[in-house]
Amino acid sequence: MGYTRRLQIRNYIVEALLILLSLLIILPLLLMVFGSFMNSTEVLRFTLALPEKWLFSNYVTVFEQGGLGRAFLNSIVITGISSIVNVVTSSAASFILVRRETKLANALYLFFFMGLIAPMSVITTIRVVQWLGFYGSVASVIFIYAALNTAFSVFLYSGFIRTIPKALDEVAFLEGANMFDVFFRIITPLIVPVNATVAIMVFMAVWNDITIPIYFLTDSSTWTMPLSIYNFYGLYSRDWNLIFADLVMTSLPVLILYILAQKYIVSGLTAGAVKG
Amino acid sequence: MKIQKRLYSYYLIWPALLIYSAFFVLPAIIGLYYSFTDWRLDRIAIQFVGADNFTRIFTDDILLLAMKNTFIFAIVTVVGKNVLGIALAVALNLRLRTRNLLRAIFYSPSILSILVIGIVFTPLLRTEGAVNRILESIGLHGLSQAWLTNPSIVIWTIAAVSIWQTTGFQMAIYLAGLQSISKDYYEAATIDGATSWKSFRHITLPLLLPAININVMLTLIGGLKVFSEVFILTGGGPGNASQVFGTIILRTFGEGNWGLGTAINTLLFAFVAVISIPLLLFMRRKEVSE
Repeated sequence: MGYTRRLQIRNYIVEALLILLSLLIILPLLLMVFGSFMNSTEVLRFTLALPEKWLFSNYVTVFEQGGLGRAFLNSIVITGISSIVNVVTSSAASFILVRRETKLANALYLFFFMGLIAPMSVITTIRVVQWLGFYGSVASVIFIYAALNTAFSVFLYSGFIRTIPKALDEVAFLEGANMFDVFFRIITPLIVPVNATVAIMVFMAVWNDITIPIYFLTDSSTWTMPLSIYNFYGLYSRDWNLIFADLVMTSLPVLILYILAQKYIVSGLTAGAVKG
Repeated sequence: MKIQKRLYSYYLIWPALLIYSAFFVLPAIIGLYYSFTDWRLDRIAIQFVGADNFTRIFTDDILLLAMKNTFIFAIVTVVGKNVLGIALAVALNLRLRTRNLLRAIFYSPSILSILVIGIVFTPLLRTEGAVNRILESIGLHGLSQAWLTNPSIVIWTIAAVSIWQTTGFQMAIYLAGLQSISKDYYEAATIDGATSWKSFRHITLPLLLPAININVMLTLIGGLKVFSEVFILTGGGPGNASQVFGTIILRTFGEGNWGLGTAINTLLFAFVAVISIPLLLFMRRKEVSE
């Protein structure tokens, strides 16, 4: 038996094993999707089967009773604004940190980098937000998310901006450009892909998070989707079909984003893997 | 020098610096101070109490258990996510017809909220749930367990759910790392008669070090900060069997025991720093020398 033939057989075996293993991932997710269309007794068997009748009405019920419309808007506002704030502030800061080759710039870079390691101090953050007078508000949560993601974004941006030759800035300067011209007309167009990567990574992390809402969103009218589902899960713990429908609906936005923006996520991961 | 100042004014750093300092660094510094006080909901005057809070963490049974669980969770998930992540990445780097589909499937749970994963797994892990039914149907009665209600295994179950969810994320970083390794090395090794294992050991692993470095750091830091997985699957129960630092902090916050809560956070910070900074330096050095 030749070498190539042996490799081929090995690949078939590996592929078969991987397909088996992938069932372990798919089946629980399918259980959720099928369950979301079942009636409330059928779903309690928790076995993988197609629904006897596809009840799309579960989604309507959840949407109305779970107050999902409002939660969806809250999630969009919080996630959207904190991603934008994060992209704008981190890219601007990274530009200066990379271009200024001084000790201060270096120290500031490390200061930001520390945020990748340090755990957030939740209880005293509440204190600070209270001092500032907006505890419980959507705005406070937006700032907290922007702050929490700064370290990661500065890390990604700095790595990328370092690869843009400084000569570009200098030529523009000699032709009379100022700082804003250089940043917005030279650097920004070149870092569009990184902006997309950062925005998507932050969006997904914030959308899926429950820790910050638990501590900081005290009023149910400001709850995000995951938090309102957690609440719904407590209230309707018997109606698993509705719970599953609820879970599918929270997952849809990130799933759609993932499908549309896959290549930006991959490039973010590559930056992490190659630069370390 | 003039161009430096004109083109790269520090003004552009201010917005990021202000937000980051006010909502992340300042709370951490205040937390350091409050860790040494008896700051409570019902206290008007806060008093300095020295290391009392820390003494309590190391003498209270529940807090010690939470510390132990935090470490078990961190170690189990670091090993699980990285060993499986490398294995999946190496396998899915072969020329397989379905590899793009399989990569997408293994990655998919990591884009979902832990809330979704936790709630889906809760009924599956019950004593009469699907996991036990499957184990019994393939003749492994002995392995069936009260996954979430047996105090001695519950933290392991939670770690397993976390591994199930995010190994695909680690896999994706490893895949990116593998793709940056030139094929020439493997061809040369094959000509020299190296076995697959030898190529893996002497080419893949050393050249994958940057990816291993970042993944071990990410999973370790994430593991020590664990909160959501435990909060959703068990809330720290049964009893206090699966409490970790993250869930204990929420409890001390609810009880108004804020000094103690911040002290736990400070200790967590110390653990993360003491473990990760030397690891970071060690791995950096190794990367250069290999």
